[in-house]
Amino acid sequence: SLEDCPLDEDEDAFQGLGEEDEEIDQFNDDTFGSGAVDDDWQEAHERLAELEEKLPAAVNEQTGNGERDEMDLLGDHEENLAERLSKMVIENELEDPAIMRAVQTRPVLQTQPGSLNSSIWDGSEVLRRIRGPLLAQEMPTVSVLEYALPQRPPQGPEDDRDLSERALPRRSTSPVIGSPPVKAVPIGTPPKQMAVPSFNQQILCPKPVHVRPPMPPRYPAPYGERMSPNQLCSVPNSSLLGHPFPPSVPPVLSPLQRAQLLGGAQLQPGRMSPSQFARVPGFVGSPLAAMNPKLLQGRVGQMLPPAPGFRAFFSAPPPATPPPPQQHPPGPGPHLQNLRSQAPMFRPDTTHLHPQHRRLLHQRQQQNRNQHRNLNGAGDRGGHRSSHQDHIRKDPYANLMLQREKDWVSKIQMMQLQSTDPYLDDFYYQNYFEKLEKLSAAEEVQGDGPKKERTKLITPQVAKLEHTYKPVQFEGSLGKLTVSSVNNPRKMIDAVVTSRSEDDETKEKQVRDKRRKTLFIIEKTYSLLLDVEDYERRYLLSLEEERPALMDERKHKICCMYDNLRGKLPGQERPSDDHFVQIMCIRKGKRMVARILPFLSTEQAADILMTTARNLPFLIKKDAQDEVLPCLLSPFSLLLYHLPPVTVTSLLQQLMNLPQSAAAPAPSNPHLSAVLQNKFGLSLLLVVLSRGEDLQSSDPASESAQSNPWTEVMFVATRELLRIPQTGLAKPISIPTNLVSLFSRYVDRQKLNLLETKLQLVQGIR
Amino acid sequence: MGLVMPLSVCTFSGFFKSFTSPIHVLIPCSEVTSVICGTLHSVDQYLNIKLTDISVTDPEKYPHMLSVKNCFIRGSVVRYVQLPADEVDTQLLQDAARKEALQQKQ
Repeated sequence: SLEDCPLDEDEDAFQGLGEEDEEIDQFNDDTFGSGAVDDDWQEAHERLAELEEKLPAAVNEQTGNGERDEMDLLGDHEENLAERLSKMVIENELEDPAIMRAVQTRPVLQTQPGSLNSSIWDGSEVLRRIRGPLLAQEMPTVSVLEYALPQRPPQGPEDDRDLSERALPRRSTSPVIGSPPVKAVPIGTPPKQMAVPSFNQQILCPKPVHVRPPMPPRYPAPYGERMSPNQLCSVPNSSLLGHPFPPSVPPVLSPLQRAQLLGGAQLQPGRMSPSQFARVPGFVGSPLAAMNPKLLQGRVGQMLPPAPGFRAFFSAPPPATPPPPQQHPPGPGPHLQNLRSQAPMFRPDTTHLHPQHRRLLHQRQQQNRNQHRNLNGAGDRGGHRSSHQDHIRKDPYANLMLQREKDWVSKIQMMQLQSTDPYLDDFYYQNYFEKLEKLSAAEEVQGDGPKKERTKLITPQVAKLEHTYKPVQFEGSLGKLTVSSVNNPRKMIDAVVTSRSEDDETKEKQVRDKRRKTLFIIEKTYSLLLDVEDYERRYLLSLEEERPALMDERKHKICCMYDNLRGKLPGQERPSDDHFVQIMCIRKGKRMVARILPFLSTEQAADILMTTARNLPFLIKKDAQDEVLPCLLSPFSLLLYHLPPVTVTSLLQQLMNLPQSAAAPAPSNPHLSAVLQNKFGLSLLLVVLSRGEDLQSSDPASESAQSNPWTEVMFVATRELLRIPQTGLAKPISIPTNLVSLFSRYVDRQKLNLLETKLQLVQGIR
Repeated sequence: MGLVMPLSVCTFSGFFKSFTSPIHVLIPCSEVTSVICGTLHSVDQYLNIKLTDISVTDPEKYPHMLSVKNCFIRGSVVRYVQLPADEVDTQLLQDAARKEALQQKQ
C-alpha cells in the first residue's frame, strides 16, 4: 500500500509517472489537438456528395500531360508491385480460356512492349493508354478510392506531395487464395487528407485503402453511359446492350423475374442472339457486379447470380433449341417501352444449364408470360417505372466499381465453377436431367409424338492442376506465414479414434450393435453398387487395353456385393438366411437389393429370390411400416424369365409353403395366408404361377406328360388356394393374363369360378 | 433463370440447382414462424437462399412483407424448406450424398 512505501521511492515513482504523463499529453495532442491532422469528416462527406458533379471537369483536366512525372513514379512503383504479384500468381489459371474470356480482354494492348503478360493486374503502361480513349467516351469511372478522398482542384505536377502517402501498401494475401485485398485501414475510418492521386493510380490498384461502408448492390450506369471500347466496337447497332440488369428493377433479379415483369412485352428486334453474345465477353462483368462485394470477403464460396460468361464452358446450344425471340412487335403500354429499352437478355443466361432444364424453364416462362398478359400484371408497376427513371439518370452510386474490378470478381467466381469432373462434382444435377430426358424419351416412344432433340450437356473438362501450396513470404521477413484457406486446408485438431472394448455389453447393446452392423454393411454395399453402376460410363471413357481390367474389377465387386448380402461366413457350407433377412428388414436394404439384382448372376439372384420366398412372412411383417417390398417385384419378375422350370417349381413350393410330400395337409397354412394378404406376396405368387404356366405351355414335351414336378405342385397349390379363406386378400400390383388358363388345367369349372372370384383374377364389370 | 454455383461445394448446391418451380421456406422469427414462398434464385455454400417473387402465406400477420418481391435469407435461420415433391428424386439424392462421402474419404 502507499503508506508502506518509503518517501524517496515515492518520488521516483512520481517522477516516472510524470514522464508518462508527458508522453500521454503528446499523444493526446497528436490525436486531438493541434498536432493532429485537421480532419472534419462532415466536410469530407459533403465533398463526397458533390464529388460527382465536380469530377468530370476535374478528371478531364487531369488527363493532360501535366502529371506525367508523378504518374511515372507511380507507374514504376505499381509496375514493380504488379510484377511481383504476377510472379506470385499461378499462370495456369489465367490460361483458362473461360476465365480469360470472363475478364474483359484487351487484345490490342497486349502488344505493348514491356507490359506484363497475363497478370491479374495489367501493367500501368497498358492502362495509361486506355484511360484516354475511355474517358473520351464514357462517364468517368471512379474507383472506390476516388470517392473516399477529398476532392482537390486540379493541380499541376506537385513535387511537394508526399510520395510515401501515395504508395500503397503491399498486398499481403496470396493471390492463389483469391481473397480480396486486405484492408489497410478499418472500415469507416474517415479518409485521411491524402494528396489527390492521379486518376490513373486509382485504376491501377483497385485495392481500396479506404473502404466505404457496405453498399447495396450497384449496377453499372444504364446503356449509353458506360460502355467499354470493346463493347462499343463489337456491337455497333444494338440498342439493347448495356447490361442485363435494368436499374429500375430491384437488385437480385433473375431472368425469369424479368420475364415476368415484362409481362408479355416482347423484346425489341435487333436483339443479339446467343452467338453474338458470345463475342462480347465484357458482359460478364456487369451482372456479377450487382453482387454485394461484402459477400466475397475472405471466402471463396458465394452466391452467384446467373453469369452469361459461363457460356464459355459449354458448347454452343444445339440447333434445335429455339433461339431467343427476335423480331417481335413492340408490346403494350408506354411504361413498358422504357423497360424494354433496357430489356435484359435472359435467354442467353441459361445456356449453361442442361438442355432439359432450359426447356423446362422456358416453358414456365411462357406460362408466366401468358398469365401476366392476361392479368395485365405489369400495370401496377408502371408507376414505379416512371419514378425509377429519374433515379436512373442521376444514380450517385453508379460506376463505383471499375470494369477491372468487376472482372476480377467474376474471375474468382469463374474459377470456382471450373470442374475437372462435372459428373462427379455435380452428380445430382446431371443425372436428374438425364433421367428426365430418358423418361420423356420413353414416353415419346409410346406416344409416337414428334421426336424431340435428344440434347446432351457437353461440358469441357478442365485438367486438374495440382497447386502446391507455397506459403506466403515477405521480403526481409523471417519464417513463413501459415494461412489456412480453401486451397490448403490445415488440420486443426488431431482426433484419435478409439474403439470400445467388447466386454460388458448388455443384450440391448448387442441388438443395437447388430443393427448398426447391418446398416454399416448396407452402406458398404451401396458404395460398391454405385461403383458398379458407374462402370458402363467408365468403360466408354477408357482405353482399349484398360477394359479387361475394368471388367474384372467389376466382376469382383459384384461378387463382393453378393457376399455382403448373403453374409458369407467361413466354415459354413450354406450361409444362414439370418444375415440377409436382417438386411431386408431395413428399408434401404430392400431398395438396395432391388438395385443389385440386375447385376448378379442368375444363380446368385435365384438364391436371393429363394431366400426371400422362404422368409417372406417375416419380411412382410417387418415391412408393414415401410411398404417398400413392391419395389422388388419388377427385378424379381425379370429374373423369373431366366429361371429354369425346376427352380420355378421349387420357388412356388417355398412361396406357398406347400407340404413336401403328398401327405395330408396341415390344418392351416399361415405362411400362405400371410403371403396372400400382402400386396407384394400376392403379386409375386401370381407372377410365379404365370411364369410356370408359360414354361409349361411352351414346352411340348411336358405338355403330354401327365406327371411332372410342376403339375404335381400345381395340384397341391390349387388345393391350398381353395382352402384359404378370403379374408383380407390383397390387391395385386398386376394380374397376369394367363392365370385362368393355368387354373383351368387343374380344377373343374366350379372350382375355377371360385378361384377366379377369390383371387379377383377376372377383371370386369360385375 | 439459372443457378450458377460452385460445383465442388456440396451435393445440396447441385440439388438446389435443379428446381424450376416455387419452393416454400419456413423461417422462424423468435416466437413466430413465417412461411415465405418464392422461386429459388440462388443458393450458396451456407445454404443462404435468395428467393424472387416471394409471397407470404399469412399476409395479415406480416403486412410489411407485402411490398417485398425478392429476399435474401440467411441460411442459419431457415427451419424447413419445402420443395415440390415431383421435382425431387430422393434415390438420386441419396446416391449423390453417398458419392460425395466416398470422395471425401478419398
